[in-house]
Amino acid sequence: MTERNEDVPVLDVRGEICPYPMMKTNEELDKNRPGVPVLDVLTDHPPALSTIPPQAMKRGYEVEIDEIDNGEWRLRLSKA
Amino acid sequence: MTTENVSAKVQPRNPLIPVSDQTWAGLAVLAVTLVIGWVMSRTDGTAAAIWVLAGVFGFTLQRSRFCFASAFRDLFLFGSGHNMKGIMAGMAVTTLGFAAIMHWIVPNPGSGVLPSEAHVLPVGLSVVVGGVMFGVGMVIAGGCVSGSLYRMAEGYVASWVTIGGVIVGLGALTLTWNWWYGTFITHEPKIWLPNVAGLGYTGAIGLTLLGLLAIYLLVTWVEARNGLFTPKINRKVTPAMTFPSRVREASDPIFKRGWPIVIGGVVLGVLGIVMYTIHMPLGVTGELMRASQLVMGWGGIDVPVLDGLATLGGCTGRSGESGLISHTFSITVGLLPGALMGALFAGEFKLRLPNNWRRYVQSLGGGLLMGYAAGLAIGCTIGAFFSAVPSLSVSGWVFGLALGVGAFVGTLIIKRIP
Repeated sequence: MTERNEDVPVLDVRGEICPYPMMKTNEELDKNRPGVPVLDVLTDHPPALSTIPPQAMKRGYEVEIDEIDNGEWRLRLSKA
Repeated sequence: MTTENVSAKVQPRNPLIPVSDQTWAGLAVLAVTLVIGWVMSRTDGTAAAIWVLAGVFGFTLQRSRFCFASAFRDLFLFGSGHNMKGIMAGMAVTTLGFAAIMHWIVPNPGSGVLPSEAHVLPVGLSVVVGGVMFGVGMVIAGGCVSGSLYRMAEGYVASWVTIGGVIVGLGALTLTWNWWYGTFITHEPKIWLPNVAGLGYTGAIGLTLLGLLAIYLLVTWVEARNGLFTPKINRKVTPAMTFPSRVREASDPIFKRGWPIVIGGVVLGVLGIVMYTIHMPLGVTGELMRASQLVMGWGGIDVPVLDGLATLGGCTGRSGESGLISHTFSITVGLLPGALMGALFAGEFKLRLPNNWRRYVQSLGGGLLMGYAAGLAIGCTIGAFFSAVPSLSVSGWVFGLALGVGAFVGTLIIKRIP
């Protein structure tokens, strides 16, 4: 597991409506930062907690979900 | 890499604090909801019963994150059949219950008599146009009518805009309804499977369940082809030492963590059956239609007499009820406190304001499309699909297929919106 540090790139999709949290995450992993070893996704969209992990795992990432505030989560995607 | 060594971990925040501010707020909402139900029960017991069931309905939608828009869209967008599987499971349960109720109302199908209150709706151009429009609208708005209703309660501001659009769209449909009715709908047949070709109940139920199973297998195949698998979620275990934290831990699968989608579908299916026994199948559009007529009245727009609508059945046929408290009020407004409680007990309530102005335009546009379409098809994804297929109505399948076409078009559109 990756240690917490400040250099981890962050994709903030808070406030986004369905399905943009998932679409933007896929876009980040496929186009903007291909092969990025670790990415933090911040979301306030509960369905994203069940839709982002399968998409990330399909691309070879492990997912760790942290609840950071009421209705806000950080998904840490890291290459295993 | 193999699938064995990928996993998802969930780290709960403050896992040992059993009761948060949001929990207290949720209990307050519960108390108010029960008081409203009790007041209703003094004048209309059925309305009160629907009010309580609608609360459970909203809670279930929120907890299982049940979403018809996602069910259709994600097949095209992500190759995921997650929500569609829940819908199929729910409709299978509802089909059995509805069949029993309908058999009690119409013991001998084939006579041409239709079971009262079942959502057997006309099949024709209106339902195809309505389905495609609705499918496009729900994908653009990011949620269908029921989805936007429960998200309204969760604090999604964009969903308030969507519901506003739905109400305006229903108003536009109201003004053009008589043309649609005279030109198309009056000539469209209501096709009830038990009446068709001597199928009877056995054939109709068998055909419906086979159809649902076929779609379940189809979406499983789509998932397999896209390399998707359901992740196993590992949870960090924090020992619960005190009594309150143990109670919290035990209640987490219901109140904190999202429900498995098939469980959500089955609970909704059972709710639909109970709702039919006391009133009519589930549907949420009727009250929004009433709201649109109310707004039109405020704006000085004459609401025309809607030809044939009351005889067609389904959701919007109920929009003629008068007074604030009606059965449609109970079901549509009643789901809001249920969904709000779902969000509060999970600590998930949050005002969510999109930063991107395009999302408000999408929400409004999608809402307008859905409103017009739900009026035309005499129901939304709940009334004209989730309640129609189990009513053994061909209209439900046609509407569902049209929703799929519309969702595909909608997916192409949202991919182009940054």
